[in-house]
Amino acid sequence: MDVKYKINRLQTTNEIRPLVDKHWADLRTAKERGELVAWASGPSFIFAYAMGMKCHFMAGYAAYCGGIGAGEEVLKVAEMAGDLPETCSYHRLHMGMGEAVARGIPINPQAILPMPDLMVAGRLCPEMSHYAEGLHRRFGVRVLPIDLPGPYSMEDLPRIREFVYRQFKEVVIPTFEEVCGKPFDYDRMSEILRVLKEVAILRNKCWEFFKDKPSRWTLWDYGVSIAPVFYLMGNPAGVTYYEKLLRELQERREKGIPAIAPDGEKYRLYWDGWLPWAFLGKFMRKFIPNGAVVLCGRYPWEFFPHPELIDPEHPVESWADLYYGMESHLTYSFSPKGTINLIGELIKDYSLDGLIMFSSKTCRVMNLAQPEVMDVLDKKYGIPGVIVEGDMIDSAMISDAQIETRLQAIFEMIDSRRR
Amino acid sequence: MEEIMKQFVEYPSDPYTSIAKWKENHKKKVIGVFPMWIPEEIIHAAGMLPVVMWRSNEAITWGYKHVPPYNCPINKSVVDDVVKGKLKFMDGMVFLRQCLQSQEVPFIVENNRPPAFEEYLYLPPIYHGDKASKDFTRDEFEKLRKRLEEFGGEEITDEKLNESINIYNKNRSLLRKLYDLRKQKPGILRGRDVLRIVWSSMLMPKEEHNKLLESLLSELEKNGYEPTKGKKVFLSGCLCIHPQLELLDMIEDLGMVIVDDDIYVGYRYFANDAEITDDPIGALMERHFIKTPVDPARGEIEVNWGKELVGKVKKLHADGIITLLTKYCPPHLCYYPDIKVELADAGIPEVLIEVEHEIISLEGIKTRLQSFKEMIGGF
Repeated sequence: MDVKYKINRLQTTNEIRPLVDKHWADLRTAKERGELVAWASGPSFIFAYAMGMKCHFMAGYAAYCGGIGAGEEVLKVAEMAGDLPETCSYHRLHMGMGEAVARGIPINPQAILPMPDLMVAGRLCPEMSHYAEGLHRRFGVRVLPIDLPGPYSMEDLPRIREFVYRQFKEVVIPTFEEVCGKPFDYDRMSEILRVLKEVAILRNKCWEFFKDKPSRWTLWDYGVSIAPVFYLMGNPAGVTYYEKLLRELQERREKGIPAIAPDGEKYRLYWDGWLPWAFLGKFMRKFIPNGAVVLCGRYPWEFFPHPELIDPEHPVESWADLYYGMESHLTYSFSPKGTINLIGELIKDYSLDGLIMFSSKTCRVMNLAQPEVMDVLDKKYGIPGVIVEGDMIDSAMISDAQIETRLQAIFEMIDSRRR
Repeated sequence: MEEIMKQFVEYPSDPYTSIAKWKENHKKKVIGVFPMWIPEEIIHAAGMLPVVMWRSNEAITWGYKHVPPYNCPINKSVVDDVVKGKLKFMDGMVFLRQCLQSQEVPFIVENNRPPAFEEYLYLPPIYHGDKASKDFTRDEFEKLRKRLEEFGGEEITDEKLNESINIYNKNRSLLRKLYDLRKQKPGILRGRDVLRIVWSSMLMPKEEHNKLLESLLSELEKNGYEPTKGKKVFLSGCLCIHPQLELLDMIEDLGMVIVDDDIYVGYRYFANDAEITDDPIGALMERHFIKTPVDPARGEIEVNWGKELVGKVKKLHADGIITLLTKYCPPHLCYYPDIKVELADAGIPEVLIEVEHEIISLEGIKTRLQSFKEMIGGF
């Protein structure tokens, strides 16, 4: 008889929404309280937080809009204002919000943010700078673009690290000092890093439960828990949240409760690319009935796999090292060469059966090399993969039939290799 | 004149055979460079032939095993050519992090048919006047110089670099002269000819190209010119790739004449010289940070592409702009809506044509161009 799989929902994850809502509500009302507002992309929001500014985060805003179901209406405004559908959906989302406010087009009020006093466009992906340039052209927003090159080879890291560190010191910090009219608060940055370190160490302990067979939780649970190591960085509430999550996962282990009822998963999967923020539920409903659980991925693993390396005593240096240091090298893990090493380790550590390569049709930062990465990994580890096309926010780029066919294919491939 | 054009056309007609033949005859190394920012002068000074990678001459087939279809034409095309072995005459390839898509191409190349020499440059797209960006760019160029010295076994002295810069400056200056002539005498050459002249400069030795250009300019100045009655249009965009010749023909056959452009296989390629100084790497670095013609792949906010286009169109008294948007090109996609608004505000008619690797429907494009022609006047 066929097994009827069902998700065992975690209780702790219910507590993230109020934290996230409060962050965005505080940001929406910051100007009313006379506070300075920054918008940021790439790893640059920490500088705004250190200066006591309220700060948006590009991908975080997109995830939030997706989560509250505001993505579609904001994207429609962007299209009306001239954006073409192949353009990065995060870009379109920001343009749509700006245009909606400027033209008085009603959208979900929770999706509306105040225009910033400064936009720091950390060009980890060039589109992270293009959206800021667009907002500058349309609305005169002050923009500080900085280059954050993605390393192609490991040996390139030291000189890129030096370049990025110098931009932080020579360009970013002086600009924040000018905008805020006060010296840069290195002590506050250190404090943020202390909290981040504590949160990320707890988060890593939680990640260990993905290694359990059966797994105690899913990557989607982690997806909704990502904010404390992301734009809620430095908020002690993150510590409380992850302590509680850790306790719940420990309890699950002790009681033998799996993420998927009745007896745990049939397929253990890796997820490549961005998380499909607006469609987490849709994908969940396709995975779970098949007994499939997604456990890890290079993007969700980004923030910050080696928290032990965070050195709050040297905040700016440490921040550059986290992304470009030879030990932490977050950015290298994102490159195709680094990805192969990373996924290779994940395959072993998490006992993975297959790879889902989520290929966003409007964000091409990872998708170009995905077929190649998949091929290399299949040859090296004998782990099959499929490409699933879609988008993080835009439902026009999502096809249920295509997703289901590809998922069926990966499940069959795994089954046939097991026989 | 016909004989000169025949020589310009030879390389673009079949770059694969022409370059391989040149290599065989000259026993020199050929290095493919990815568009659009790599300083070819350093490769030239190493005694090698730099050629700018191009959109291939056939439909993409094997490449789709390696690249999703919703990626830009130059990436798909280069990957397709590489995996088919069509670029094996290239001894080396130089890539760069110019946009989010181009940064992953070398990985696919390396994984399938790696050339003997491969280099990857991180050229900053933003410049705040900071020393960090200048130092980093200089280091990138020095790294390329050193790696080429190791590969070629010859020192690239500052003197050699200046000689190369000089030859390249001359080429750029001659091409600008040709463009000035076209502005003064619209229609003096067909759009397809102008395109192939610029494109051939990207494929053949600059020394030969300079000689051909000098002969051509002298012929053009001698020849009579019959003013055209066509509506004057400016071509904009088409980053990284050359547009289809049929598209240019169609524009002209519909009664329009191309007076100027800022496309990559056009003015963008030869717009800026490097100075001759006792620090040639420094001169190439300085050129890298010139902010015009506005490049949407860069993060420069002090300049505005829309305003730049308005200025150019007004100066030329052109009747409108034809935007050629390389399909799936994020920098242009992100910029385009603002250009459209800027042009509309200035009362400049504009039409958008998307350029893919293959033209999907010439008939559809024709309809758009016909409407545009009617919009700018004339039936």
